[in-house]
Amino acid sequence: MKKLTILILLAGATILGSATIAQNTGDSQYTNLRVLSRNITSKELMGIMTDDIDDGLGVSCGFCHAPAADGHGLDFASDAKPEKKIARGMMRMTLTMNKRYFKVRHPLLGAPSLVLTCATCHNGQALPVMEQ
Amino acid sequence: MAWAGTGVLWMMSGGIMRSYGMSQLIDKTTGGLKKGLTIPSSDFSFVQISDSHIGFNKAANPDVVGTLQAAIDKINAMSSAPAFVLHTGDLTHLAQADEFDTLEQSLKSVKTEKIFYVPGEHDFTDNGKLYLERFGKGTKGNGYYSFDANGVHFIGLNNVTNHVDGGLGYLGPDQLKWLENDLQPLTNSTPIVVFAHIPLWAIYPQWGWGTEDSAQALALLKRFGSVSVLNGHIHQTIQKVEGNMTFHTACSTAFPQPAPGSAPSAGPMKVPAEKLRTMLGLTLVDYKEHDHTLAITDTPLIA
Repeated sequence: MKKLTILILLAGATILGSATIAQNTGDSQYTNLRVLSRNITSKELMGIMTDDIDDGLGVSCGFCHAPAADGHGLDFASDAKPEKKIARGMMRMTLTMNKRYFKVRHPLLGAPSLVLTCATCHNGQALPVMEQ
Repeated sequence: MAWAGTGVLWMMSGGIMRSYGMSQLIDKTTGGLKKGLTIPSSDFSFVQISDSHIGFNKAANPDVVGTLQAAIDKINAMSSAPAFVLHTGDLTHLAQADEFDTLEQSLKSVKTEKIFYVPGEHDFTDNGKLYLERFGKGTKGNGYYSFDANGVHFIGLNNVTNHVDGGLGYLGPDQLKWLENDLQPLTNSTPIVVFAHIPLWAIYPQWGWGTEDSAQALALLKRFGSVSVLNGHIHQTIQKVEGNMTFHTACSTAFPQPAPGSAPSAGPMKVPAEKLRTMLGLTLVDYKEHDHTLAITDTPLIA
């Protein structure tokens, strides 16, 4: 029951989050950013991916990003892996929960002001371990 | 030279590998070798450094340039300069141009002839674009290569192309085919040193500490009488001997990680400031051709 309650809370927050995050505009070296700012710098983006997501979930890039069609490296813009869609929802949820429940006024992924981060629930696991 | 912390001296003689814990060798009161012990002379030596993570600035070590410099100082203080240095990846934390610049600038002060690199997964988050621009000249595919020094055949592999879920390393069929061709003309008695970022043996696959298709590479190496595999990635020293193969992982120059399975996950581990440099370090390898001696010694940064 507790697990179900948590999931409902997270799902609700995700839906709220997708409505509250502003669309970004402007030129970008990245072609398929939906949650992160299109004006994000390479260092900011890599910091979020490396320190927040990779370390927070104990995964590497290939967990969400599909292999490149030519077999060399990853196609970072591709949405082929469902994990990437889930990750976007989780990012929205994280931002929303920080704003709504922890009163972080301008939550930004990677910012030290966040109260909740990926690691808060994931604790280094791809799938968070929840109490039964 | 003063020694502290943990480490292992490897000696291979007549195809038999023996290991000696540094605690067996070091006099804790003086920090030097125990009385009566001598380090064997060697025909040439080289140093392995790893996981510099230039650009990392979190609590586990806010001064990774400083600790890299401490490792460089250790190298430059050696009684005879190493023939070359191997850097086994994660040169940078975020694969940024300024991070690569800082690393290259720092390593310019190393007293050695040459520095060889293989990438870590942190250097390849842009599919290796910047890394290969700087360090990929003369390499094959996504950055693998080999060279010979003093009768030893060195092979640098790239197992960080991020193709595998869960963070495991991956070599891929192209690289394995190249390895097969590279080894083909060598006699079984040729000493081999393989270096790559992610361990080529399954240390703790749950944390991605292994390489998915390494068994194929190791099968190609099995016929050789002396194979040493040097890796980084896990930021701590672990060794294993299997037949004629010696596996060794090096400490980071940046920050420690937990022992396998001792924490919920891998990642930067904050330790008391006074302990940090005992958990970072570099690896010195001595090779003596006629005695078939290969000695691997880990040196922590602390004096």
